[in-house]
Amino acid sequence: MTVEQISELLAASNREGKAVVVTGGGTLSGMGRPPARSDVTLSTLTLDTIVEDAPSDLTIAVQSGVRIRTLAQRLQKHGTHVPFDAPHPADATVGGTLAAGWLGPRRHLYGRPRDFVIGSVAVLADGTIARAGGMVVKNVAGYDMSRLYVGSFGTLAVIAQINLKTAAAPDVTRGFQMRLPEGTRARALDLLTGLTVTPAAAFWIDGFKTAVDGEDGAEGRLFVLLEGSESVVDRGTRDLRAAMGRAGVPETRIVDAGARESFERIVDAYIACVGERSITYRIPAFTDDAISRVHGMRAIAARFELRTDALIDVMNGDIIFRVSDLDAHALGAKIEMFDDALHDEEPQALVIAGQHPSRALLAVWGCDTDGIDQMRALKEKFDPNRILNPGRFLAGI
Amino acid sequence: MLQRLIDALGADAVKTEPEDLAVYSFDAYTDGRTPRAVVLPASTADVSAVVKIAAEYNEPVVPRGAGTGLCGGAVPVEGGIVLSFARMNRILELDTQRRRARVQPGVINLNLSAAASPHGLFYAPDPSSQKISTIGGNIATNAGGPHCLSYGTTVNHVIELEIVDDGGNVFTTSIDHPGYDLTAAFVGSEGTLGIVTSAWVRLMRAPEAVRVWLATFDDVESASDAVSAIIAAGIVPTALEMMDKVMAAAVEAAFHAGYPTDAGAVLLIEHAGFEDDMAHYESEIARIVREGGATTWRSARTEAERAALWAGRKGAAGAMGRISPNYYLQDVCVRRSTLPKALHAVEEIAREYRLTVANVFHAGDGNLHPMLCYDKRDPKQIQAVIESGNAILETAIALGGTVSGEHGIGYEKRDAMTHVYSTSDLATMARVRDVFDPSRRLNPEKIFPSGVRCPEVRPA
Ligand SMILES: Cc1cc2nc3c(=O)[nH]c(=O)nc-3n(C[C@H](O)[C@H](O)[C@H](O)COP(=O)(O)OP(=O)(O)OC[C@H]3O[C@@H](n4cnc5c(N)ncnc54)[C@H](O)[C@@H]3O)c2cc1C
Repeated sequence: MTVEQISELLAASNREGKAVVVTGGGTLSGMGRPPARSDVTLSTLTLDTIVEDAPSDLTIAVQSGVRIRTLAQRLQKHGTHVPFDAPHPADATVGGTLAAGWLGPRRHLYGRPRDFVIGSVAVLADGTIARAGGMVVKNVAGYDMSRLYVGSFGTLAVIAQINLKTAAAPDVTRGFQMRLPEGTRARALDLLTGLTVTPAAAFWIDGFKTAVDGEDGAEGRLFVLLEGSESVVDRGTRDLRAAMGRAGVPETRIVDAGARESFERIVDAYIACVGERSITYRIPAFTDDAISRVHGMRAIAARFELRTDALIDVMNGDIIFRVSDLDAHALGAKIEMFDDALHDEEPQALVIAGQHPSRALLAVWGCDTDGIDQMRALKEKFDPNRILNPGRFLAGI
Repeated sequence: MLQRLIDALGADAVKTEPEDLAVYSFDAYTDGRTPRAVVLPASTADVSAVVKIAAEYNEPVVPRGAGTGLCGGAVPVEGGIVLSFARMNRILELDTQRRRARVQPGVINLNLSAAASPHGLFYAPDPSSQKISTIGGNIATNAGGPHCLSYGTTVNHVIELEIVDDGGNVFTTSIDHPGYDLTAAFVGSEGTLGIVTSAWVRLMRAPEAVRVWLATFDDVESASDAVSAIIAAGIVPTALEMMDKVMAAAVEAAFHAGYPTDAGAVLLIEHAGFEDDMAHYESEIARIVREGGATTWRSARTEAERAALWAGRKGAAGAMGRISPNYYLQDVCVRRSTLPKALHAVEEIAREYRLTVANVFHAGDGNLHPMLCYDKRDPKQIQAVIESGNAILETAIALGGTVSGEHGIGYEKRDAMTHVYSTSDLATMARVRDVFDPSRRLNPEKIFPSGVRCPEVRPA
């Protein structure tokens, strides 16, 4: 498929008022709402060309259907990376990951995916092909349209091409696991954020047993990822062990079998479902209040007799919270009431995964966003006939 | 209208005397019309009230920070009301634990880092104007600076914005909330979409170790070859700045920073990070620049020496007075691998127009800042500067670059937008403006090409 063909398809659909559902690898289809209408499916998977690889500029331009893994493998040859940290990178596409506004756990150190975007080619609902930015790493000519498409869930335009800047990949990646005995958790999390050798990622995990390896202690377990040069990672290892010792954590075990793989399994767990009987939320928090908020959410889940798995991205403060029940029927009977109760306490909780049919009835976008009127107006300007992924985004957009 | 403004904000917040207004008719690039009034709001509510009154009288509103903009962005080209943020200059919250700060738009960039510094934190975007330019102006222009090479430009450091739109409505945008990334749309929109009345910005932890090195070369081409080679090796130092002979000599005369005056080009390289990595970085970078023909290599030994080298770089614009009565500063960005070609072209252009050119720029980003020297009393020289400035733009575009790396489009470069973007590209941007400023009263005649009123850049 070419960009021109997308343009023709959209222009025709727009004339006829046909709803176009845009799909990539389908890995994040559990985020947002299912589309309200669907007449035409536009898959970006055949848009899989690396348009321009410019390692000496530390930039690369790819079509939106290029898989995250394919991009990573290409960049690895140059010793560079773009840290998307997307779940299921072999299936996930660059365009889909960006359109869904995916936020990975290493962003506090390397930056958000959007901050690697330097240009784009997008196709608007009426077929207009619009370019923005370019292949230079600094550019203030006009509005930053590319970043506006990031996180728009395909409701403003179809992203056809993305230009990225790249960064040198770390030499060494090392993973650590530890079990947290009684009374160690709060101090451990606090010390982790203060380490001089900032961890590339750190997770407090309680549950997610089938998805992520490691044994829970009385207060769950930690997974820490250090990245950098050999000597920095060595020093970070010493500092981490000392700090965890001070927090009362007796043992810090180095993950021998592939730190990267363990890390990727945890990222996969963000959206891992327990059959049709689980719903997963993402709550933006701060490291210093994340634990107490997890307690609060657990208490609500307990009222509904729901099982819970919890994960805190310690460096960024995100909480991943999964509730599940014995079977889909049992979940269906209470999930809406739970969702209401949860949003009373956590208005910003987003649903990011879940295969239960009642997912569509939940407040998947949370209920605390300012600027809704402005967003609606923006949608109206870009897609007045509401043909692009209608209903998929928040506020019915 | 003036009375309404006075009633709303008080007489001392509204300036109408010609001698006061004159000061607000220009910025660091050019002058425009005298505004009808200059208003100094003290709060978001004040800003909203002013915008509403302006709407009733159909008067343009032009937000203004420190007026250091280099593209006529803060110039009231259609008169109207200038909103100066001189009184909204407070740091509202400094949350050191969560490493973020909430600031009013008039806070001076350097003051924020100064306030954060006792806590081991700093605000990373550091335009060379940081001693006077404001965070609001920096956000509106998506300002860069020497250290943006590794830390990213302003957009990477803004978390949340409070905005007043053309109807006086107040709303907030946040990168942590779901929905369209309006924060990204507002950063760099040069006051044409809305007025920033406060912002949460990210603070970073001060690095443990900092090294500054100075390399000299026989000419600008070999220095830029070395820059391209450093980047191609995957090394992105914290800052990678270049100065040509003319500039280095002027800076040395003005600041005694310790720059060699006989070299054809000087590279200032900084790397910040872990002590453990410094020796490796130093030897790698030193090797690359030597292979690239560096004639000397020096490491700043003390904090004072580092500060002196940086003071020279940051004061470069101030030193220009020694070279020329007037200068025009161009700002283009090219692919980093094409730096040698771009600089060669700039030299050729200056020669052709018989102008002296001084270069001091963010080499690591490919962000060129040729300064074309002239005397404004000579109309021929003015013409030569205009033509050579355009020739440099065309060169950058031909090399796959862009017409502004960090200073913005403003009034100056709006017609050049048509050289990099098609009508549909621009019409797509105009759709965003239609949402937030359909009346085109917020900073009119900026960014979008002249003569092309909204309906024409809109798609058919
Ligand atoms: C010596 C010198 C060195 C410089 N070095 C750099 C550099 O290294 N990097 C760089 O990027 N730039 C540099 N600049 C350019 C300039 O300093 C920047 O563009 C800066 O961000 C402008 O800030 P200001 O407060 O002066 O804004 P102004 O010049 O007053 O305004 C700039 C633009 O922002 C808008 N604006 C201001 N405040 C607001 C607000 N609150 N809400 C909405 N819009 C607003 C104005 O309307 C205008 O369009 C330099 C300029 C000088 C004179």
